[in-house]
Amino acid sequence: MAEALLTARTPARRTVGRAPRSREAKLRLAGVIVLHLVIIVGAIAMFFPFLWTIITSITPGASLTTTPALIPKNPSLGAYQRLFVERPFGQVILNSFLLAVITTAVQLVTSSTAAYAFSRLPFRGQNVVFGVYLATMMIPLQVLIVPLFVELKAFGLLDTYLGALLPTFATAFGIFLLRQAINQVPRELDEAATIDGAGHFRIFTGIILPNIRPAIATLVVFAFMGSWNSFLWPLVVLRSPELQTLPIALAGLQGQYTSQWDVIMAGSVVSVLPMLALYVFAQKYVIQGVASSGIK
Amino acid sequence: MSVSVAQTALLDKEPQFRHAIPTRDGRTARNRARYTFTVLAFLLPSAIPLLLFVLGPMVAAAWVSLHKWNLLAPMQWVGLGNYAKLLTDPITGDVFVHTIYYIAGYLPLVYFGGLALALALNTALKGRSILRGIYFLPVVTSWIVVALVWRWLLSPTSGIVNTVLAAVGIHGPGWWTDPHWAMPAIIVASSWKDLGFVMVILLAGLQAIPTELYDASKVDGAGWWRRLFSVTLPLLSPSTFFVIVISLINGFQVFDQVYAMTGGGPNGASEVVVQQIYDLTFRYGRAGEASALSWMLFAVVLAVTVIQVRGQRRWVTYG
Amino acid sequence: MNRKLMVALGLAGVFALAVTGCASAAPKASGPVTITYSNFISNAGNEKNLDKIVAAFEKKNPNITVTVKTLPYDSYGTALQTDLAAGTPADVFDINGPSSYGPLQANGVLAELKAVPSAKYNKALLDSYATDGKQYALPTSFSDVVLYYNKDLFDKAGLKYPTSSWTWKDETAAAQKLTNKAAGVWGDHQPVTYNEYYKALVQNGASFLSKNGKKAAFNTPAGIEAAKWLVGKSGTTMPTVADGQGTADFDTNLFKAGKLAMLHTGIWVFGSFADTPANWDIAVEPGNTTTASAVFSNGIGVSATSKHPAEAQKWAEFMSSSDEEVSVRLDAGWELPTISDTAKLNSYLTKGKPANRQAVFDAAKKIAPAPSIGDNQSAMQDAITGELVEAQAGRESVEQALTNAEKKINTLLAG
Repeated sequence: MAEALLTARTPARRTVGRAPRSREAKLRLAGVIVLHLVIIVGAIAMFFPFLWTIITSITPGASLTTTPALIPKNPSLGAYQRLFVERPFGQVILNSFLLAVITTAVQLVTSSTAAYAFSRLPFRGQNVVFGVYLATMMIPLQVLIVPLFVELKAFGLLDTYLGALLPTFATAFGIFLLRQAINQVPRELDEAATIDGAGHFRIFTGIILPNIRPAIATLVVFAFMGSWNSFLWPLVVLRSPELQTLPIALAGLQGQYTSQWDVIMAGSVVSVLPMLALYVFAQKYVIQGVASSGIK
Repeated sequence: MSVSVAQTALLDKEPQFRHAIPTRDGRTARNRARYTFTVLAFLLPSAIPLLLFVLGPMVAAAWVSLHKWNLLAPMQWVGLGNYAKLLTDPITGDVFVHTIYYIAGYLPLVYFGGLALALALNTALKGRSILRGIYFLPVVTSWIVVALVWRWLLSPTSGIVNTVLAAVGIHGPGWWTDPHWAMPAIIVASSWKDLGFVMVILLAGLQAIPTELYDASKVDGAGWWRRLFSVTLPLLSPSTFFVIVISLINGFQVFDQVYAMTGGGPNGASEVVVQQIYDLTFRYGRAGEASALSWMLFAVVLAVTVIQVRGQRRWVTYG
Repeated sequence: MNRKLMVALGLAGVFALAVTGCASAAPKASGPVTITYSNFISNAGNEKNLDKIVAAFEKKNPNITVTVKTLPYDSYGTALQTDLAAGTPADVFDINGPSSYGPLQANGVLAELKAVPSAKYNKALLDSYATDGKQYALPTSFSDVVLYYNKDLFDKAGLKYPTSSWTWKDETAAAQKLTNKAAGVWGDHQPVTYNEYYKALVQNGASFLSKNGKKAAFNTPAGIEAAKWLVGKSGTTMPTVADGQGTADFDTNLFKAGKLAMLHTGIWVFGSFADTPANWDIAVEPGNTTTASAVFSNGIGVSATSKHPAEAQKWAEFMSSSDEEVSVRLDAGWELPTISDTAKLNSYLTKGKPANRQAVFDAAKKIAPAPSIGDNQSAMQDAITGELVEAQAGRESVEQALTNAEKKINTLLAG
C-alpha cells in the first residue's frame, strides 16, 4: 500500500504495460486495490449518518429509536414544504448566509494582515502579543457570554446584526492558521521583491497572499462554517424574528415535550448542503491554485 | 489576572524570529516611525476586535470570579473564595480527569486518522474530490444529528457495533449507558466527526510541499516510507503543529458532544470542565464559581500550550 | 501592553456598573404602549396560535402593542438568565414551571401582580406561583401525567383494564402477566427520574423534603419502597437502559408499536398517538397509600423592571385566562388552559381519543406538589436522577443510592 500511494501520486512515472509483470508491479496493483477499498468503505461509514438524516427527513412522522427503513414506506417531501412554507426558513437561510459572508470576508482581512505581521514584521514583544492572541482561544465562550452581552448593551448594539458580527471579526484560529502558512513561504521571495523596491504592502498582496492560497481556502471554509453553525451568541444577542439565524431556527423545531423529527432532519439537510458545496468548491480552488502558482 | 504577564514567557524562543530582528541600525527616526506605522496597520484590524470582544470580557470574567453571583441578584465580593471552594470540591478534580481522558483518547485517533486520510486523498485517486467532500460531511453536520446516530450505532443491545462484535464472539460493552464506556463512546464519535477537519488542514499543508523535493528524493532512490519521514512529515510539521495546538485547545473545551451524547452521565461519569462551567452559570446559579473554573481551565490550557511552543523548535521546520 | 490592560480593566468596570446598576420603573401616562413578550411555549408548532391570541388582545386593547419574541425551549433558560443579568428582560416572560419560578421570585426579578382575578384560575395551579400569599406569576397552561394502557394487550391476557382505584400492587401484578420478553412485549414503562420519584414518594405517603424544606426526607422506609417501585421495574416488566430505555421517544414508539401494555407519560402525546392502530385509553395513575399525580405547568410573569407594569400584567392575565386564549388552546390541542370554570373545558372531553379524557381533570385534582428550593433546584434534580439511574443499572443498591443522594442534597440545602 505504501508503494501504491507513491505510485498513484505521480502517475506519469508509472511504467504501464511493461510486458512481463514483475512481482513489484503486482504488489503495487494489490496495494492500489486495497487502498481504494479502505477509502471507499470509510467513505460509506462517513456518509451513512447523512443518508440516515435524508431518509428520516422524507419519512412522514418519523421517530428516532426505530431503525430507519432504507426505503421509506411513504416517502414525502412534506417536511421540506413545512420548513419553507409554514416557517420562514427562506428568510432564515438568507440571514445566516449574509452573516457568514461578512464574517468570512472580514476574517480574511484581519487574519491575513495579522499573520503577516507575526511572520514578517518583527517588533519588540511580538512573541508576547502572539501569546495573548492565542490566549483568546483558551477561555470557554460560555463564561464570556454574559460580560459580552452587557458590553454590547452599553454600545446599544443588542438585537442588531452589527452586535452579532463584531465579536466574530477576528479569530486567533485564523491568524494562527495563516501564520503557519506564511512561515512556510520561502523568505528569498520577499528579499527578491525588496531588492526590486517593493514595500510590505506589495509583498503582502503580490507575493505572500498568492502563495498561501490553500490555507486561505481552508480559512474560508472554517470561517464560513463557524458563522453558519454558531448558536450561543446569536441566540442571546438576536431576538427579533426577522433577524433569526439557521441554527436557532433549527433548535426551535424541538419542543418542550415532543419534536417532529422529519422536519428537524429536513432542516439539518438544508443546513449541511451549502457548507458541503462551499467545501467542494474551495477544494477545487486549492488544487487549481497550486497548479497555477508559479513558484513551485 | 493579566493575560500578558502570564504570557511573557510563552514565545520568546520561537525559532523563526531569531534570525530576523529588524535591521534598525543606521535608520532614521522617520524610518522607525514608518515601520511602527506599518506594524500597527497590519496588526490593529485584528487587535481591536480581539481586545474589545474577547480580552475585555475575559477580564470581566476574572472580576466575576471574585464574587458570589447567581446572575439575578447583585454580586457579592468573596475574594478568592470561589477558587478555594472549587479546589476542595471533588467534582472539580473529576471534570478535569474526564477532560484529560477525553483528550488522551481523541488526539491520537483524530491526528493519525486525519493524517492517513490526507495522505491517501492527496494521491491521484479517482473521484478524490467527491471522496474529500464525503469525509468532510461529518464536520459540517450538527452534533444533535451526529449524537443521535452514534447513540443508535452504539446501542448496547441492538446497535450495529455490538452486533458486529457479537458476530466475532465479543460481548460488546454498554457504551454510553456504562460509566466506564461513556467516555470511549464520546471519543469514538468525536474522532469520527473531526477526522475531516484534520484532513482539510493537512491537505492544505501537503499542497504547499514542492513536488521537486519528491522528485529529487526519488532520484536518490528513497522508498515511500523514507520519503514520508524525510520529506513529507518535516515539511508538514507547521501544519501538524497547528493541528495539535488547536486540537488541544479545543479538546480542553469539549462540550457539545458530551452534552448531546450523554449529558455528562451516567451519574456524572462523563462530565467535563466546560459542561460544569455551563451548568454552574446557567443552571445552578453559581456564575462566580463558573468564572473561577474557567480561569483554572485557562491556566491549564496555557501551560500545555507553552510547553508545546517551547518544544516546537525540536521538530517544527519552517520554509 | 499597559494601555491595553487599562482598556480591558475599564471594560470590566463598565460591566460591573451595568450589572449592579438597576433601572427604575417609572410608569408612563396612557398613550400607545409597546410591551415585549419573550416566550418558549409557542415554539415548535404553536407560533400561529400565539399570534391569534396576541391579535385578539390588541383588538381589545388598541393602545397596547405586544412584540413577541420566541426562543427555542432548550435554550430559553440561557437567554432569560443573560437578559436578567444584563437588566434587559422582556416586560412579560415565560416561566418554565414552579421550579423555575422559585429562584426567579427569590431574587426579586418578578413584579408582584396585584388584584389578580384569582377566582378565574384553578386554585392549586395559581398557588404554585404565589409566595407568602402574594402572586408573582400566573399559570398559562398545564399538562399532567397519566397511565396509558393498550386495550388489545389487556384483552389478550384476559385482564381487566386499569381504573382509578388501582394501586401499585394491581399495576405490578398486571405488568408481570403482560410482559412477554420472548415476543418483545413489555408490561410497563415509567421513567426513572426525579419527576417520577417525587411523585411516587407522595403516592406512598412520604415526601421529598422535610416539612421546613431544610433537609432531604426521602431516605426512609417509605422512600426506599418508592424508589424500589421505580427501579425494580427495570429488567422485569420494563426494558433496561441498555435496551434503550430513557432515550427520546423510546417509550412512546414501543407503545405505538403495540409492544408496551402500560405507559406513564404526559398528556402531550395524545396527538402523536391519535393515528396508532391499537386500542388505547388512559386512567389516573395508581398510588400506593394514596393517589397523587404530577402536574407540569408553564407560567408567565412580569419583569420587576418593566416600564409598563399595568399593561404587562393585563397581557399576562389575558394570556392565561381570557376566553380567547382558552378557545385557541382547546381548538389547537395546545396543552390545557388553567381556568377554574370546567364548563368551558367541556369541549375537550369529547375531542376524540382517548375516551376517558375525564381522567386528565381527575388527575389534576390531587397534585403531588413539586419540591422547590431556589438556586440549587437543577443541581438537586440532577443529583437524585443520577443516583436513581445508578441503582437502576444495578451498580448500587437502592439504599446506597438514596444515602448518596441524601448527602449531596443536604449539602446543597445547607448552601
